[in-house]
Amino acid sequence: MEPRYYLAWATDEAIRARGANGGFVTALLVSALETDFIDLALVVMKKSVYEGVPVLTDDPELVKESAGSLHGVPWNLAKILLECAPDKRVGVPTKPCDARGIIELAKRRQITLDNVYLIGLNCGGTLHPLRMREVAAELYGLDPDTVQKEEITGGKLIFRYEDEGGATREKGLRIDELEQEGRGRRDACKTCTTKIPVMADLACGNWGVPKGEQKTFVEVLTEKGVAILENALNKGAIAVEDATEQGIALRTKIERAMQELAARWKDELDLLRDKSPSERLAFYTEQLQRCIHCGACRAVCPVCACDEDAKCLDLNDEQDAYAISLYNLLRILHLMDSCIHCGQCEEVCPVDIPLTLIQRRFSERMQAHLDYEPGMDVTETPPYQETKLRWPADAKTSAFEEA
Amino acid sequence: MRTITTNCPGCCIACGLYLLEFSTPELPAGELKLSLAHRKLAPMNEGKLCKFGMHLPTFYGREPLPTLVDGAETEQEEAVSEAKARLERLKPDEIAFVALPSTITNEEIVSFVSGAKACGSANLCFGFEQIINALPEDARSVLINGLPFYEIEAASKIVLFLLDPYVHYPLLARRILKARENGAQVIDIAFAHNWRGIAAETVLIDPLDLGSVQELRDTVANSLIIGEVTPYTSLALISLLLRLAAETASQLFLLKPFANSTGALLLGSSGAERRGDLFEILDSIENGTIKGLYLLETDLSAVLSNAAAVKQTLSQLDVLIEQNAFRTQLSELAHVTLQSEPFYRKRGTILNIEGRLLALGGESTNGLRILEQLGSNRAFAEVHAAVKHVLGLEIAEPTEFEIAAPRIEAMVDVTTLPQVEEKPGALDGEQYVLWYKTNPFFWAGIRDKGFVEISPAAMQALGLFVGDALIEGEHEEKNGFKVVAVPEKLIVSEDPLWMHSRVQWRDVKKGGTVRKVLVKRA
Repeated sequence: MEPRYYLAWATDEAIRARGANGGFVTALLVSALETDFIDLALVVMKKSVYEGVPVLTDDPELVKESAGSLHGVPWNLAKILLECAPDKRVGVPTKPCDARGIIELAKRRQITLDNVYLIGLNCGGTLHPLRMREVAAELYGLDPDTVQKEEITGGKLIFRYEDEGGATREKGLRIDELEQEGRGRRDACKTCTTKIPVMADLACGNWGVPKGEQKTFVEVLTEKGVAILENALNKGAIAVEDATEQGIALRTKIERAMQELAARWKDELDLLRDKSPSERLAFYTEQLQRCIHCGACRAVCPVCACDEDAKCLDLNDEQDAYAISLYNLLRILHLMDSCIHCGQCEEVCPVDIPLTLIQRRFSERMQAHLDYEPGMDVTETPPYQETKLRWPADAKTSAFEEA
Repeated sequence: MRTITTNCPGCCIACGLYLLEFSTPELPAGELKLSLAHRKLAPMNEGKLCKFGMHLPTFYGREPLPTLVDGAETEQEEAVSEAKARLERLKPDEIAFVALPSTITNEEIVSFVSGAKACGSANLCFGFEQIINALPEDARSVLINGLPFYEIEAASKIVLFLLDPYVHYPLLARRILKARENGAQVIDIAFAHNWRGIAAETVLIDPLDLGSVQELRDTVANSLIIGEVTPYTSLALISLLLRLAAETASQLFLLKPFANSTGALLLGSSGAERRGDLFEILDSIENGTIKGLYLLETDLSAVLSNAAAVKQTLSQLDVLIEQNAFRTQLSELAHVTLQSEPFYRKRGTILNIEGRLLALGGESTNGLRILEQLGSNRAFAEVHAAVKHVLGLEIAEPTEFEIAAPRIEAMVDVTTLPQVEEKPGALDGEQYVLWYKTNPFFWAGIRDKGFVEISPAAMQALGLFVGDALIEGEHEEKNGFKVVAVPEKLIVSEDPLWMHSRVQWRDVKKGGTVRKVLVKRA
């Protein structure tokens, strides 16, 4: 369907006050639960500025409590949805990487997408929670436990905190300056070019909202998106107005600027690009021989759909005497068409193997060859599940023809 | 779905994680499935977990221990009264209390000590008494003191002493690698090269001549020495390390295999009075001077010897009481079994090796209540206050981001250290030296690997081919092998009990780090 653009907000004052950007997403989920439009909502419940835990609930009050954005909570919800509620009608607020993971799982028949309402959230990136705490203490000079709220706005990471006299104050530093010191967003987020979740049912955020207005800019992308939006409207839980051309253009401009920044980061962080093949092999060997075969990378991977039947597990044995284990090689191979470069694997690796960098090195090139961007379009079959390879027409002809 | 913030009981690092409890359509009503999620805010592990941590949902899925008296199901109150009555029938020195502190909270430790005191027993063991008893009091703090990992990352020189972080304490490895990135000189003193790569420099020592380490004073000078102490560690090795650290102006940091080792050492073992050590207690059971044993969340048969040997000894007891969340190999021998809650459901605190006081995310104090019924009958708050008092934290409730455990000044007078000679032995025929590297699975009673590492020369000498197996033990259990670059006569195993002949605890005690093993091709 042709996308539609609105500005929307919660009609409930309490939700509007607590939620981000006028509380639209919270009101949408609350009304969907209250009207039995969905069975469950999968949300992230704030425990502190630096910590949020996933909660799968049918309780609208819990959803209201979860309102507000958190940047230091880099979960990918795809696996949690798969494990805890594969057969329920669930509403899930998703970052682009959450949505992409869920879509890839759906393509592999692990999740029935008809049951899942992907409430996409624009995402400029997330920060590692511990690094965020350190930043608050070391660069902002704050007691991290006094920080009450964080937000990213106008290119700044802003901490709102309570001073010694009990007054609320705020401090902000530019994210690009933090990142030049290696202290900002996660590397996977810095290099991510999918900032607006156009693969979801709705894409929500504050880009394109007139300055000072507490509203959410909503792009409606699918019939399911229409249905859940209409459900909330019929209940009177939200109010909407058409987005302006100016707002739409501003949103696009912000997205492009962020994509350009991501492209620059991609270049800067690609440590392997200018290396010789032997240098690359030395790098892979040095990094991957540290693998302790814990299996965490597979367990958190939002696109790995094999579960207990994971073929890589057949080779996940330290008795394997190769410096680079067959387990790692098989994973690289298996994920070449589907890796969404979310960085979850690297983040949980107990021996800090730069898995995102290594996987990107292989999968980005393969995905370019296959003209396939995983998790972006549910109608596209993953190439490894097709019987033909769709090499671009202008690709180099075969060695036989050259000869 | 319920999300529980918890810690891993697999080793002294006590990594933070979440456990998710939820129902699924295929489960019967009321039953819940357990899954884990990575808690990236946890300062000790930043969300990362080793293979054992990843295994926790299965670990917690074991068969629960029922509450029984002489094999008959009994209400808990009645079973506790019966346990108490049976212990009271014995003389104080006929009773022993043993707890290897993997899944035991600080509050439970304080309570366990009170319970033992109420019985008048000095046979109270948390796994390190054989070392503590032998060390001068001023030197014991070296055994107890922890070290925040950020200090490891900031160290300028690190010496790993017979420690393979990837195996023993996997979440330590990245800290060593960070230190290297930060410019630290990292030296690995080992019996064989670490094939995963951890140090810039490896100094190989002869496993049959540990004393030769004394010649490495210049190499070790002014460093942070990182080693390990377990119930298997010989006094000779610890004396050697203490002496080496003292003589080279180095700091010694000893990791331990149990999540709450620091809590147990500070709250349970550090008193001036001499306590019975694990091996003495086992000997006393065998010679009949100890007749009653209270085992708190500890399966001795899994970690000390083959199950049959320990079972045979414990079967001589008049009173065996087992308090545990899960059934063990010893449960069938116990006269009274008391069901406590799994670690992740516990309310209470533990102290990790860095000295962080970690509040567990559970709500149950059932295990503590059982222990209190043996002694003081205090409420949780009162016991928790007692814990804080010992730690010098009268008012403060430190968070996980602070180092709460006191670091006690160590005064090591090398002349007072025990002189224990470990005689070099000669190897002949089919004998090999075993270098064991215990991992968290081993201490949880799980054999994870099923293979040993041998040299190409050993493979040839033993006539092995790819796919062959080595056999061990009476039951002829088969082990695989992996050929790596280790010295010709060295076999590396993650199981200290891996050997051809039957292992008694005496062999373990006497053997220290190095033992001879005989292998044969299956």
